[in-house]
Amino acid sequence: MRLGVLVSDFRNVDDTLSRLKADKLGLILVGNGVYLAAVKESGKPSQVLGMSPDIYALTEDLQTRGFSDADVDKRVKTITYDGLVDLIFNDYEKVIWI
Amino acid sequence: MGKLTIGCFSSLVGSLSLDFAVKLANTAIKKGHTVDFWVSGNATMLSKKGQRAFKDYSALMKIVQEMTATGKFQITACEACAEARGYHKEDTLEGFKRHSMDWYLASSFSADRVLHIGGD
Repeated sequence: MRLGVLVSDFRNVDDTLSRLKADKLGLILVGNGVYLAAVKESGKPSQVLGMSPDIYALTEDLQTRGFSDADVDKRVKTITYDGLVDLIFNDYEKVIWI
Repeated sequence: MGKLTIGCFSSLVGSLSLDFAVKLANTAIKKGHTVDFWVSGNATMLSKKGQRAFKDYSALMKIVQEMTATGKFQITACEACAEARGYHKEDTLEGFKRHSMDWYLASSFSADRVLHIGGD
Protein backbone atom coordinates (compact mmCIF):
# COMPACT_ATOMS: atom_id res chain seq x y z
CA MET A 1 0.00 0.00 0.00
CA ARG A 2 1.15 3.54 -0.77
CA LEU A 3 0.45 5.58 2.36
CA GLY A 4 0.67 9.36 2.62
CA VAL A 5 0.87 10.70 6.17
CA LEU A 6 -0.03 14.33 6.79
CA VAL A 7 2.01 15.26 9.86
CA SER A 8 0.43 18.30 11.48
CA ASP A 9 2.31 18.42 14.78
CA PHE A 10 5.93 18.97 15.84
CA ARG A 11 5.84 16.88 18.99
CA ASN A 12 4.67 13.35 19.78
CA VAL A 13 4.78 11.97 16.24
CA ASP A 14 7.97 9.86 16.19
CA ASP A 15 6.45 6.88 17.99
CA THR A 16 3.36 6.74 15.78
CA LEU A 17 5.39 7.16 12.61
CA SER A 18 7.86 4.45 13.58
CA ARG A 19 4.97 1.94 13.84
CA LEU A 20 3.58 2.56 10.34
CA LYS A 21 4.26 -0.08 7.68
CA ALA A 22 3.67 0.62 3.99
CA ASP A 23 5.15 -0.39 0.64
CA LYS A 24 5.66 3.30 0.02
CA LEU A 25 5.47 5.74 2.93
CA GLY A 26 5.32 9.45 2.23
CA LEU A 27 5.49 12.04 5.02
CA ILE A 28 3.79 15.35 4.22
CA LEU A 29 4.59 18.03 6.81
CA VAL A 30 1.80 20.61 7.24
CA GLY A 31 0.85 23.10 9.94
CA ASN A 32 3.21 22.86 12.90
CA GLY A 33 4.61 19.68 11.36
CA VAL A 34 6.78 21.87 9.11
CA TYR A 35 8.98 22.63 12.13
CA LEU A 36 10.33 19.10 11.69
CA ALA A 37 11.77 20.19 8.34
CA ALA A 38 13.60 23.24 9.62
CA VAL A 39 14.30 23.07 13.36
CA LYS A 40 17.32 21.41 14.93
CA GLU A 41 17.43 20.43 18.61
CA SER A 42 20.85 20.14 20.30
CA GLY A 43 22.26 20.74 16.83
CA LYS A 44 20.58 17.69 15.34
CA PRO A 45 17.69 17.55 12.84
CA SER A 46 14.58 15.55 13.75
CA GLN A 47 14.88 11.77 13.45
CA VAL A 48 11.59 11.87 11.56
CA LEU A 49 13.58 13.01 8.51
CA GLY A 50 15.23 9.60 8.41
CA MET A 51 11.97 7.66 8.43
CA SER A 52 11.17 7.91 4.71
CA PRO A 53 12.91 8.83 1.45
CA ASP A 54 9.83 10.81 0.46
CA ILE A 55 9.30 13.79 2.74
CA TYR A 56 7.49 16.96 1.75
CA ALA A 57 6.69 20.25 3.50
CA LEU A 58 3.94 22.73 2.65
CA THR A 59 5.52 25.96 1.47
CA GLU A 60 2.69 28.18 2.75
CA ASP A 61 3.00 26.80 6.27
CA LEU A 62 6.81 27.19 6.21
CA GLN A 63 6.51 30.81 5.13
CA THR A 64 3.83 31.71 7.73
CA ARG A 65 6.26 30.43 10.35
CA GLY A 66 9.13 32.52 9.02
CA PHE A 67 11.12 29.84 7.22
CA SER A 68 12.61 30.16 3.74
CA ASP A 69 13.76 27.34 1.47
CA ALA A 70 17.30 27.83 2.79
CA ASP A 71 16.15 26.79 6.26
CA VAL A 72 14.69 23.49 5.06
CA ASP A 73 16.63 20.21 5.42
CA LYS A 74 17.93 18.94 2.07
CA ARG A 75 15.96 15.67 2.43
CA VAL A 76 12.66 17.57 2.35
CA LYS A 77 10.92 18.65 -0.86
CA THR A 78 8.75 21.76 -0.56
CA ILE A 79 5.29 21.66 -2.19
CA THR A 80 2.34 23.98 -2.67
CA TYR A 81 -1.32 23.08 -2.17
CA ASP A 82 -1.37 22.27 -5.88
CA GLY A 83 1.39 19.74 -5.42
CA LEU A 84 -0.32 18.33 -2.36
CA VAL A 85 -3.52 17.61 -4.29
CA ASP A 86 -1.45 15.80 -6.94
CA LEU A 87 0.34 13.74 -4.28
CA ILE A 88 -2.99 12.73 -2.74
CA PHE A 89 -4.57 11.67 -6.01
CA ASN A 90 -1.54 10.29 -7.88
CA ASP A 91 1.13 9.11 -5.45
CA TYR A 92 -0.71 7.64 -2.47
CA GLU A 93 -3.75 5.34 -2.23
CA LYS A 94 -4.44 6.16 1.41
CA VAL A 95 -3.85 9.38 3.28
CA ILE A 96 -4.00 9.80 7.03
CA TRP A 97 -3.61 12.76 9.37
CA ILE A 98 -1.61 12.74 12.58
CA MET B 1 -10.23 13.70 -12.16
CA GLY B 2 -11.41 12.19 -8.88
CA LYS B 3 -13.45 12.67 -5.78
CA LEU B 4 -11.93 13.61 -2.43
CA THR B 5 -13.91 13.26 0.79
CA ILE B 6 -12.64 15.30 3.72
CA GLY B 7 -13.92 14.91 7.25
CA CYS B 8 -12.87 17.58 9.72
CA PHE B 9 -13.52 17.74 13.44
CA SER B 10 -11.31 20.72 14.36
CA SER B 11 -12.75 24.02 15.47
CA LEU B 12 -13.03 27.11 13.29
CA VAL B 13 -11.10 29.26 15.74
CA GLY B 14 -8.14 28.04 17.80
CA SER B 15 -7.09 25.35 15.36
CA LEU B 16 -5.49 25.75 11.91
CA SER B 17 -6.62 22.34 10.70
CA LEU B 18 -9.99 23.52 9.41
CA ASP B 19 -8.26 26.34 7.50
CA PHE B 20 -5.94 23.74 5.99
CA ALA B 21 -8.81 21.45 5.02
CA VAL B 22 -10.76 24.26 3.32
CA LYS B 23 -7.67 25.43 1.39
CA LEU B 24 -6.98 21.84 0.30
CA ALA B 25 -10.58 21.45 -0.86
CA ASN B 26 -10.43 24.73 -2.75
CA THR B 27 -7.23 23.72 -4.56
CA ALA B 28 -8.64 20.30 -5.44
CA ILE B 29 -11.75 21.92 -6.96
CA LYS B 30 -9.65 24.34 -8.97
CA LYS B 31 -7.74 21.36 -10.36
CA GLY B 32 -11.02 19.80 -11.54
CA HIS B 33 -11.72 17.31 -8.75
CA THR B 34 -14.93 17.15 -6.74
CA VAL B 35 -14.94 17.39 -2.97
CA ASP B 36 -17.35 16.25 -0.29
CA PHE B 37 -16.69 18.00 3.01
CA TRP B 38 -18.04 16.73 6.34
CA VAL B 39 -17.80 18.75 9.56
CA SER B 40 -18.35 17.27 12.97
CA GLY B 41 -17.72 18.33 16.55
CA ASN B 42 -16.47 21.89 16.92
CA ALA B 43 -16.00 22.16 13.16
CA THR B 44 -19.79 22.57 12.93
CA MET B 45 -19.08 26.21 13.87
CA LEU B 46 -18.37 26.61 10.16
CA SER B 47 -22.06 25.98 9.37
CA LYS B 48 -23.33 28.82 11.53
CA LYS B 49 -24.99 31.80 9.84
CA GLY B 50 -23.82 35.32 10.66
CA GLN B 51 -20.10 34.75 11.17
CA ARG B 52 -18.13 38.00 10.97
CA ALA B 53 -14.79 38.29 9.20
CA PHE B 54 -12.11 40.04 11.26
CA LYS B 55 -8.64 40.80 9.91
CA ASP B 56 -6.44 38.33 11.78
CA TYR B 57 -9.17 35.79 12.39
CA SER B 58 -10.00 32.66 10.48
CA ALA B 59 -12.92 33.57 8.21
CA LEU B 60 -13.85 30.71 5.93
CA MET B 61 -17.54 31.43 5.23
CA LYS B 62 -16.94 33.31 1.97
CA ILE B 63 -14.61 30.69 0.46
CA VAL B 64 -17.06 27.92 1.43
CA GLN B 65 -19.90 29.71 -0.34
CA GLU B 66 -17.72 30.28 -3.41
CA MET B 67 -16.80 26.60 -3.54
CA THR B 68 -20.43 25.56 -3.12
CA ALA B 69 -21.37 27.77 -6.09
CA THR B 70 -19.01 25.78 -8.35
CA GLY B 71 -21.26 22.74 -8.11
CA LYS B 72 -18.16 20.57 -7.45
CA PHE B 73 -18.32 20.90 -3.67
CA GLN B 74 -20.79 19.62 -1.10
CA ILE B 75 -20.54 20.51 2.56
CA THR B 76 -22.50 18.82 5.32
CA ALA B 77 -22.60 19.34 9.08
CA CYS B 78 -23.30 16.62 11.61
CA GLU B 79 -26.83 17.35 12.78
CA ALA B 80 -26.32 15.99 16.28
CA CYS B 81 -23.03 17.83 16.82
CA ALA B 82 -24.59 21.07 15.62
CA GLU B 83 -27.70 20.74 17.74
CA ALA B 84 -25.55 19.86 20.77
CA ARG B 85 -23.78 23.20 20.29
CA GLY B 86 -27.00 25.17 19.85
CA TYR B 87 -26.79 25.47 16.10
CA HIS B 88 -30.27 24.71 14.79
CA LYS B 89 -31.65 24.43 11.27
CA GLU B 90 -32.52 28.12 11.17
CA ASP B 91 -28.96 29.02 12.20
CA THR B 92 -27.43 27.15 9.28
CA LEU B 93 -25.66 28.83 6.38
CA GLU B 94 -27.35 28.55 3.01
CA GLY B 95 -25.81 25.73 0.94
CA PHE B 96 -24.79 23.80 4.06
CA LYS B 97 -26.53 20.44 4.46
CA ARG B 98 -27.21 18.73 7.79
CA HIS B 99 -27.21 14.95 8.14
CA SER B 100 -26.31 12.14 10.43
CA MET B 101 -22.89 10.52 9.99
CA ASP B 102 -24.35 8.11 7.44
CA TRP B 103 -23.78 10.84 4.87
CA TYR B 104 -20.05 10.90 5.66
CA LEU B 105 -19.75 7.11 5.45
CA ALA B 106 -21.62 6.93 2.14
CA SER B 107 -19.44 9.70 0.75
CA SER B 108 -16.27 7.97 1.91
CA PHE B 109 -17.26 4.70 0.24
CA SER B 110 -17.75 6.41 -3.11
CA ALA B 111 -14.62 8.56 -2.89
CA ASP B 112 -11.26 8.03 -4.62
CA ARG B 113 -9.45 9.47 -1.62
CA VAL B 114 -10.54 10.11 1.95
CA LEU B 115 -8.82 12.41 4.44
CA HIS B 116 -10.06 12.40 8.04
CA ILE B 117 -8.79 15.22 10.23
CA GLY B 118 -9.36 14.63 13.91
CA GLY B 119 -10.38 17.01 16.66
CA ASP B 120 -8.57 20.13 17.92
